[in-house]
Amino acid sequence: MQRQVALIKQSLFDQGYLDEQFMALEELQDDANPNFVEEVSALYFKDSARLINNIDQALERGSFDFNRLDSYMHQFKGSSTSIGANKVKAECTMFRDYCRAGNAEGCLRTFQQLKKEHSTLRKKLEHYFQLARQAGPKETARRPK
Amino acid sequence: MTVEQNFEALDQFPVGMRVLAVDDDQTCLKILETLLHHCQYHVTTTNQAQKALELLRENKNKFDLVISDVDMPDMDGFKLLELVGLEMDLPVIMLSAHSDPKYVMKGVTHGACDYLLKPVRIEELKNIWQHVVRSRFDKNRGSNNGEKRDGSGNEGVGNSDQNNNGRVNRKRKDQYNEDEDEERDDNDDSSAQKKQRVVWTVELHKKFVAAVNQLGYEKAMPKKILDLMNVEKLTRENVASHLQKFRLYLKRISGVTNQQALMANSDLHFLQMNSSLNGLDGFHHRPIPVGPGQFHGGAAAMRPYPSNGILGRLNTPSGIGVRNLSSPPPGMFLQNQTDLGKFHHVSSLPLNHTDGGNILQGLPMPLEFDQLHQTNNNIRNMNNNNKSIAANSMAYPNFSTQQNSLIGAPNNNNLLVLEGHPQASPSSFQGHQINKRLEHWPNAVSSSSTLPPPTAQNSHHDSLEWNNVSSSYSIPFCDSTTPGLDTTNPRAFCRNTDFDSNEQPGSFYDSLQMRQSGNYGPTTDVMLSSNSSKEGFVVGQQQKLQSGGFMSGDAGSLDDIVNSTMKQEQSQGDLSGGDLGYGGFSSLRTCL
Repeated sequence: MQRQVALIKQSLFDQGYLDEQFMALEELQDDANPNFVEEVSALYFKDSARLINNIDQALERGSFDFNRLDSYMHQFKGSSTSIGANKVKAECTMFRDYCRAGNAEGCLRTFQQLKKEHSTLRKKLEHYFQLARQAGPKETARRPK
Repeated sequence: MTVEQNFEALDQFPVGMRVLAVDDDQTCLKILETLLHHCQYHVTTTNQAQKALELLRENKNKFDLVISDVDMPDMDGFKLLELVGLEMDLPVIMLSAHSDPKYVMKGVTHGACDYLLKPVRIEELKNIWQHVVRSRFDKNRGSNNGEKRDGSGNEGVGNSDQNNNGRVNRKRKDQYNEDEDEERDDNDDSSAQKKQRVVWTVELHKKFVAAVNQLGYEKAMPKKILDLMNVEKLTRENVASHLQKFRLYLKRISGVTNQQALMANSDLHFLQMNSSLNGLDGFHHRPIPVGPGQFHGGAAAMRPYPSNGILGRLNTPSGIGVRNLSSPPPGMFLQNQTDLGKFHHVSSLPLNHTDGGNILQGLPMPLEFDQLHQTNNNIRNMNNNNKSIAANSMAYPNFSTQQNSLIGAPNNNNLLVLEGHPQASPSSFQGHQINKRLEHWPNAVSSSSTLPPPTAQNSHHDSLEWNNVSSSYSIPFCDSTTPGLDTTNPRAFCRNTDFDSNEQPGSFYDSLQMRQSGNYGPTTDVMLSSNSSKEGFVVGQQQKLQSGGFMSGDAGSLDDIVNSTMKQEQSQGDLSGGDLGYGGFSSLRTCL
């Protein structure tokens, strides 16, 4: 079971969903904080869902206030980076580039992509955590080979 | 933390170092918290900058270091940084996902001691304690020279209840030392040997300001300033750190990034803010939330920044139209200096007078400034201290917030004339006023004296009196003097220049009363906080302003004054305010 968990995690890294930051977080997890990573992830998804909503609304309005969008995205990027959400972060960067270029369509497209990545990651992480819990005492973070 | 706890913490430093982490992003905050825990620091978190400020103000000694995000919805991280640096003098580390060098630069210019990029790594956090050590070390080192540290002074002075808030710089040290004494130089700080701290007295600050003005605010470099100041035992580092604080202070009070603004008024205020200033015992170190530096006898601070261009800056903020700033007559500056000296002298007068120092008492800091609240507390603490100066500083806070109104004004004149902000929650205005007033003083005292003897100076209800103003200044500040001097009134900054310091409080008060009735008049030339009736920050120069508070500046007359002043400013010297005795004012102005 643990092995399975490890494999899943490995694949997440390999596929670029997560990066070293996630590993660093795992390293922070310890007995005093046994579910740290999961908690942080939960926080992240909660926060980011809200942000996504805001951005959605802003985009729907069609007004394209790039500055504001950029600032939302900056926030989003910040937390994604902190948790190690690699792909999401990449989409954020692209979105911001489009914002700066004033490319509304690019923004929209990227945003769709971003949402997709976000929800994929969420599912994967949820799955991962679930397994990890089942697998027993959390394993310590191990750098993927 | 109790002192003992502090000591313990010290012993194991950096373990147990107390960090305050501020970030609106919950995810990042949580991660940061955990990282910090892993470094064995003691962590407090908040996701609101306002809350962070409150926590810090509540007890400056509670934290060693602050880490703050840059983009926060309720307050700009840089602004928080500035405030913390000025008020509490704690090292602040900025945190951001922006790696743009201009942000980093902004952090540096606002006084951050480090700038970290997100995601933060634990390795980076493991070393942040160095900033705490460094800052203490620098403080110690700095204080060596210059003014005497009057160890006895501030701390000892009746401020028993004041918690070392006043001494921002020191506070940290105090923690460790448990030594109320000021100079503690070396012994405190656990880490490095600190040398004597430079105490930035009013006089010294004046010199500093003069030097900066001479060089031009923008171009002022510590080395050159040091040379110009020509003070023995002052090191370049002292000047550099003081310059930095000063800039931040100006920026802060002007509300613009342009630090130059407000140079003029910031003197005293600035000094006050800097706890290191030890000028007036009891006064400074008041935890003046606003303004950096201590108020050394107020005079220093008050002084409008010598025009060298700085004044010009003042104008910029808030559109006060301060134009004068642009290049105040050089004389002004000089004058200030003298005044400062004078003032300084004055201040040395028994600030300690026991008489109800209340100068700050109850100064209600109406300032909208959040600091006001702080100041008020401080002021209360100061009660009975001669903290009158502090009171002034309090005024500053107002001042800063107001800045708009005031800053513009008097530039050249020390008169702070709060420009029309009459009643505006003058918080900032108040301060401004006071500053001005203070500045006035010296001028008034020294040269201008043209001012008609300040009639009852505005009794500031808080009785901020400037105790030491023995020199009969005629700076009539006081805005509306409410006989009652109720503390609730905005503090009017009253300067009773007339009184000589030895005056008994009672008499003073009486005289104030008398004066007050009716005329804010002559003395008010300055700004008496007119605007602020609320904020009447009365700087009771008078030696002993009764705690009753003198004059609370009523906006009424002050408004006039202010308005007039405003006009004056514009016209430079054309005093319109009749009753306010602008005449005096103008004279002052010119003096400046």
